[in-house]
Amino acid sequence: MATSQPPLRFTSHHNLVYRLVLSTLTGRTVHISQIRSSSPTNPGLAPHEISFLRLLDAITNGSQMEISYTGTVLVYKPGLITGSTAGTGASGGMITYELPSNCNRGLSYFLIPLCLLAPFAKAPMKVLFTGPGVITSSTPTGDMSVDSVRTAILPLYKHFGIFNNIELRILRRSNTGPTGRGGGGEVQLVFGHQVRLPKTLHLMNAGRIKRIRGVVYSVGVSGSNNARMIETARGILNPLSPDTYIFSDVASAPLVPAPDKTNPQAKKKIGLGFGLSLVAESSTGCLFSADVASPPSGGQAPEEIGKQCAFQLLETVAKGGCVAPAAVTTMFTLMTMGSEDVGRLQVGRDVIADPNVVQLARDLSKFGAPGWGIRDAPDNGDGDVIVSVVGRGIGNVGRKVA
Amino acid sequence: MVVKRKRETTVVSKPQAKENSPPPVDNAQDVFRRLFEAQFEPLDLPGPTAKSTNSDEENEDDDDSDLSGSEGDWDGMSDISDESNQVEVVEHTGTYAAPTDRMDKKTWKAFMSGKLLSDLDKPSIEPEPTSKKEEEEDAHESANLKHDLALQRLLKESHLLDSADDLAPTGKNRLKALDLRMQSLGAKTSLYAQTKMPTAHRRGIKAKAESKEDRRRQEAKENGVILEKPSKVQKSSNNGRRDRGLVGSSVGKFAGGTLNLNKDDIARVQASGRRTMGGRGKGKTRGGRGGRGGSKR
Repeated sequence: MATSQPPLRFTSHHNLVYRLVLSTLTGRTVHISQIRSSSPTNPGLAPHEISFLRLLDAITNGSQMEISYTGTVLVYKPGLITGSTAGTGASGGMITYELPSNCNRGLSYFLIPLCLLAPFAKAPMKVLFTGPGVITSSTPTGDMSVDSVRTAILPLYKHFGIFNNIELRILRRSNTGPTGRGGGGEVQLVFGHQVRLPKTLHLMNAGRIKRIRGVVYSVGVSGSNNARMIETARGILNPLSPDTYIFSDVASAPLVPAPDKTNPQAKKKIGLGFGLSLVAESSTGCLFSADVASPPSGGQAPEEIGKQCAFQLLETVAKGGCVAPAAVTTMFTLMTMGSEDVGRLQVGRDVIADPNVVQLARDLSKFGAPGWGIRDAPDNGDGDVIVSVVGRGIGNVGRKVA
Repeated sequence: MVVKRKRETTVVSKPQAKENSPPPVDNAQDVFRRLFEAQFEPLDLPGPTAKSTNSDEENEDDDDSDLSGSEGDWDGMSDISDESNQVEVVEHTGTYAAPTDRMDKKTWKAFMSGKLLSDLDKPSIEPEPTSKKEEEEDAHESANLKHDLALQRLLKESHLLDSADDLAPTGKNRLKALDLRMQSLGAKTSLYAQTKMPTAHRRGIKAKAESKEDRRRQEAKENGVILEKPSKVQKSSNNGRRDRGLVGSSVGKFAGGTLNLNKDDIARVQASGRRTMGGRGKGKTRGGRGGRGGSKR
């Protein structure tokens, strides 16, 4: 069906993940060139991008990818999103996916796009992420923590009529490794609600912040760090929202195998540190999240982290609109995949002015989606805009056949 | 909070006793300061330590005039300003009293489990375990329900009463109401369900019901809604072969209390015995069973 169409051509590594996701959802082949071609030291695809391609390969059937010798050119021909059906690398209905130790992105880098694909899969999507590259905390590279994905991204799928049997279990926590790469976490994603088409979204009332929840985690370090982070964050947030609770989780450091000559069974601790994830929920179900974790080099007091995170949350809320910047790509992509109807979403001006969002809009139009209509929100002085997105009505190719 | 108050009261009293003796709190600091100043240059920091030496006192006075020139004779300003510095220290190390931020284990588990929506939608305060009072209330409630039997019946059967307006139905309505009560008590079918009707008629009803169910399932599937499993259609008693009664022999005919075997039957029985589980005989019985089990569904 899609083979007759010429591949869509893109350049550079920017927004690579979402281009691949859109390609998989729409069934169009993409040709991405000049991937870091100007970099003399690290040209071509980065390790985490390769990992993402392998993940796509694991959850789809019949996708083909060609990478040039230098890794600067990628041709991706998508297959059908199968999810974790038996016989396609899934054991016991669960795909085990291992991330290599040189991965420097948080797991949310993989989780969020995977969750975008999951509702359109043929079978429930069950993936277990393991290996020496799984970082569950937020990272210096700008990825949010897995806790935030669970509490701030996945609940948004409810707006699209996708809510059954979705779980994200953190089996083992890990912060970023000492050099900013590697971890040892273990996370299980169960996405059991597959739909033909996501519902049309009309979200134009941000409401007011009703409650704030959070998860504070210490991995391999003293649990008193948790108390200190909670104390500072609550000190800032409690006067603003009395319904503030931050849950504490203390975990031991994960062990990853580190064989040496004398002892091939040797293991080492990795991913020590602490961090905080905060989610504010408004009265209309809009979610805003903030994430700060201790840097891999250390040297930051827990109070500092707690304060930063609380302020970051306030900043996110202050940006306005119904969507946090971290979730805006998810929302727009799902809206575009929806039925051929106009969905509306109120968004803060700063949120939509983000270069990533603009890039997403350009990519979407290149994939054949109609342009967005943007107008000022009528009744508020915050400078929010209402974005109207027309769905493509493609939805779930796998389900149409089945 | 309490600690802070206390300090402020001492601050107010301080300017009066200033000349006489430095407050004991700063003693240690003053000792260090004097030691420092003996070795190096005197410090000109505003602060409580200024009270110790004369030169510092002058300094302090200068500070006062700088800080609060308009305030005239009241000279407690510098003390208050450095007291505010100390307040910062207190806030930093003081314990933040928050008795309610401990969530119980259950809520913690609910939130930290992998589930998404239940945790955030759940009220943060969960209902207390049922006490005696509540049990009593429950009993009361059930008693009320019993008392309201008449009302319940009325509500249940009210659709029969739209024409009649008395509470005790009569005639046709009475019969219908009785039938409903029978059903609610466990009667399998209505007394008035039509038992006999033309085959075509019944088939039509059945087909319609089936198509309705099919359409419902189809729509649910398209929308991704998960429905209950289709219930197994109960086997009607007389599909395939007739009931053979107690003596369910597979050969012959059982009639009038006797098993009648005709010649064919006898021949078959003998043949199967001779062949010692011969392939053909076995195959035949199996085939028969298959037919009986009904590949109808």
